[in-house]
This record gives sequence, structure tokens and C-alpha cells, in this order.
Amino acid sequence: MSFVQRRRFLWILFLAGLGLIAVVASATTLARLRFEELAGQATAVARLRCIGAQTRWENGEIWTETLFEVVASQKGLLPGPVTIRTMGGSVGNLHSRIEGVPAFRAGEEAYVFLWGREGEPYRVLGWSQGTFRIARDTRTGVETVTQDSADAPIFDPRTKKFQRGGIRNLPVAAFELKLRKALENKTD
Amino acid sequence: MKKILKQVFTCGAALFYGGWAAPAAQAYAFNMIVPDVRQPVVVSGGSACPVKARQLTSGGGIAIQWSTALSTNPVTIVTQNQTASGRLTEIEQVITQSLAAWTAVSGATLMPATLKPLTRTATQNACGSDGLNSICFDQADMAFTPGVVAFTRVVETDRLGIQVGSSAVATQLGQILDADIYFNPSSSQMTYATPQALAATPTAYDLESVLTHELGHLLGFSHSAVWGAMMFPFAPVPGTFSGMRPTTQQPDAALGDDDRTGLRVLYPNTADTMHTGSIRGQIFPANPLALPASPPGVTGVFGSHVVAVDTASGAVVGATIGGWSCIAPGPAQFDGTYEIDGLAVGHNYTVYAEALNGAVDSSSISNAIVPLCRNSTTDAGWPPLQGCVVPPVNISFTARTRPGP
Repeated sequence: MSFVQRRRFLWILFLAGLGLIAVVASATTLARLRFEELAGQATAVARLRCIGAQTRWENGEIWTETLFEVVASQKGLLPGPVTIRTMGGSVGNLHSRIEGVPAFRAGEEAYVFLWGREGEPYRVLGWSQGTFRIARDTRTGVETVTQDSADAPIFDPRTKKFQRGGIRNLPVAAFELKLRKALENKTD
Repeated sequence: MKKILKQVFTCGAALFYGGWAAPAAQAYAFNMIVPDVRQPVVVSGGSACPVKARQLTSGGGIAIQWSTALSTNPVTIVTQNQTASGRLTEIEQVITQSLAAWTAVSGATLMPATLKPLTRTATQNACGSDGLNSICFDQADMAFTPGVVAFTRVVETDRLGIQVGSSAVATQLGQILDADIYFNPSSSQMTYATPQALAATPTAYDLESVLTHELGHLLGFSHSAVWGAMMFPFAPVPGTFSGMRPTTQQPDAALGDDDRTGLRVLYPNTADTMHTGSIRGQIFPANPLALPASPPGVTGVFGSHVVAVDTASGAVVGATIGGWSCIAPGPAQFDGTYEIDGLAVGHNYTVYAEALNGAVDSSSISNAIVPLCRNSTTDAGWPPLQGCVVPPVNISFTARTRPGP
């Protein structure tokens, strides 16, 4: 069997195996949330700009609180800066890590689906699934949106083909339109 | 010993050279950490080269406890045996089998004797950075949101002499001082079933699958982009188990060859004479102008997925995220270098490279990529000569293959 044939065979095996994953493909730590589910279950949705982050010990764990400026709010009341709390971070010579927890750099912008209870800092709904980072083409200035979990493959039983599960390189205008539609027809 | 019957050279957008003998990145997809070179050499080693984070296998072994507190409303752990003691026995059996999958791999220092006997605790909130490795099924309100099934939090140190809670004092750089596995207890949509109960509970996640994967994180693994690997970042659909169930004869049946190879690299056994093969190389773009201008100093393709396939069996036996090397005192150089270690000698291998833009992308292995560099922006007072910036993962190349020599 030639190498090309072997690769083709491995692809077939892979596709057959992924058939088991089907529509509810999920990261080990994550259960798949459709875009409409994200929109429906989010406490708030906003375009945020990261200002900075602080990390500290609290109740026996290292937590990171990231402060954001609200650029535009799509759902929920966000009167001032937003604080998002995520588990993990570095304090001194200790580094607490969890694969899949979104981290943000100062100046970075993203659409974030927030989830939280009253009086508590927000969490990111579904972690990487609720994080849609904005990239700006330095030459054209065009902004696009990519979901952190855009790698999740989803099997469409109708077409019997795999499709990317998430949003990747979608122009901002198209993303906002999709978001508006999802919010208008929200499903929990 | 290196034996490469046929090497696959990528060309067109990328050129791929095998057999390069420079000191190389030895990362499959492990949690990496750069020692704190601001500290004295005696506790930091003085090198800013990334090291692998892992558990200490010597000096008493790895202790793991699990909390017998189980969520009752909703019931999130489904067992076949419904008696109180029977439920605990059945769950403990799953934990034991999941651990055995990793300790049964030949050629690694992680062995059954490396683990202390599994212990129970009745404490509901047993998970926390207290120096005890714990598994918790009913610890509410940590970082969970809808959509989060389970996760593993690992606490590592970048210098010697550090401890957290009751952990041992770190005697190796990158030592994991505490690792806890959390299962979401608060969602009725997320239930986990033991293998015995799975068939009758098709909407539940297979507890053994999820736990075996999370134990890989506890040991220091990031994710793998190899489809058949236990550390592939996508769990099987509820109601199914994607791999093979462990058996008495083959307790590591659930793992893929990539997991086994990775474990041998992460916990190398010097007595193992079988898995000492190594393939190294560098990946360059055909057009050097394709390299990123920022950060400066990037001379090769970073973040490619380099895969070794056993020529005889066609099985993927190991893979790595290539693109960097490091020589003490560091920092990491992004020169396209890759290295696949822990390969069985006496075999022939085919090697190919691919961009990380398929089923797995760089966001799934961030703990293997982001921590490769530290600098004065990320860490105040970091010595400039030992600082670097991790370049973006290069996914804009395509690889054409041709037979090697």
C-alpha cells in the first residue's frame, strides 16, 4: 500500500471514528453548545476590550480576574467595566493551568458570552466556546471574528460530511448579524 | 537508533528536513514551563529553556484521593449497582482501571508501584490547591458554566524548593505539586455512567473515557492532535466509548500509541532499551519571506504537527508539535525544529508534517505553546537575554510529499 493510499485509508478510519462523535462533538472538558444556545444561555453578550488582569489566591485556588472595557453591548445591562473571573494563573513561582480556559491580553478585543450570578464576577459561558476573538487585518483594516473552539468538528448526518463546528474568520458585520438573529430567536 | 525507510519531505510552501541533529524541542503536547531564571541558579538551574511539567515518580510515589461525596440532585454519576456501598465500589473500579491504563504502559517509569493506594475522602470539597491530587464529583461552583463537563487543574512550579499545601517540596523543575479533576455536578444535562451502566444510560458520558483523559492531564499531558489518541481533545458522544475497553490482559487498551509514546517521553525509563528511537528535523518554508516578521528571530515553521507512522503497521506511533529548540541558557529559538522520541527501535517510520488547522488547532494545546517563553512584559525583572515571545502558530503552509532517500 502506497503512502497516499495509507493516508487515504487513515482518513477513512478517522471519518468513521468521528461518526461516533457526531453532532455533539465535545472537547473532553466541554459539551457542545450551539451558537443559539450560547446566545440564549448567556447572561450578557458584549464586545469587550481587555484592560488588564490580576491573579490571586482565593479559597485555596489561584484565580485570574480580567478587567474589560465594554465597546458595545449586544445583550444584558453592562453599565461599566466588566470583570471576568477564570480559574488558574500564576502567583509567584506557582502556575495553575487548565486547558481550555480563555486568557486575554491587554488591548485584545473579543465578543464574549458572559454567564454569571448577581453580585459575582462574570464567567465565560462554555469557556472557549463563548470566546470570539477579533482580528484586524493590518493592511485592509477588516475585522474578523474567530471562536476559540472553532476546531470542533461536527458531523452533519444529512450531508454525511464533517463541518467545522465553530465560527472562523467571519467578518464582524456578518457575526453581529448572526448574533442579532440568534438573540431574537433565542433558545435555552 | 534511527531507521527511516521513507521520509516525507514537504515542499512547495514548506520544506521539511529530517535527521537534523540539533538540540530540539521534545514536546509532544505536554504542559511546558520555563524555569524562573531570576532566582539563584541553585533553584532555577539557570536556563530559560522550557521543561516538561510532570509528577514526581520517585520519593514515595503519586498519591491520589477521590471524594465519595456524590451529587444527589441531580444524580450525575450513574452506576449499575444502586446500593450506597456498591455505587462507591463501582466508581472506584472505574478510577482504578483508568489509572491502570496509564501505569500499564511499558517502558516508562510510571508503573503501578509508582502510585500510592487510591484513597477515599468523605469531604465534599476535597479539590483545591492543597498538595493532594484529588478527584471530585460534587464540588460545586468552581469555574463551571453550562457546557463545561469536567476539567483538570494542574499546579506546577518553576523553581526548586517550593511546595503548595501539604505537597512534597519540589525537587525537579516543572514538578506538578497538585492536580485535581473536577466533574460538573450541577447540571442535569451532564451525567456520567460507569461502563456497566452506560448501555442503559445513553445520554450519559462514559465516565471511564472522560476520567482516563483527565488523568492524562494530571500526569502532565496537554492535548494530542492524533485522532486515535486518548488525549485527543474531543470526547466520545454520550453513550459511547470511542476506544477499546481495558482488559486484564491489556489494561492500557484504551490508550493510543501516541499516548504510550508520549508517556515514555514524559516519564522515561533508562532501563528501557526498546523505545530509544528518535527522529529529529527542521521545517522551513520554501519562501523565507513567508516567515513572520514579528516577533523577530523566527527562522522556521512554528507549530506544525509532525507525525511518525510505523511503516509496517501504518499506525501513528508518535507525533509532536514542532517548531522550536533550546540550548541552555535559553531562551527557546523558533527555528522549525521538531523531535519525536520514545520510538521503538528496529522499526521503519514514515514522517509527515501538517498544519494545525484541522480537527485540532492551537487553542487545544495552549499549555504546550504559550508557556514556551517568558519576558520582561510577562514577568517583571526577567533578564532580556533570556526572554522571548512565542510566535503565532503557522497554519498557512501546505505540504507536498515525495519519497525520501
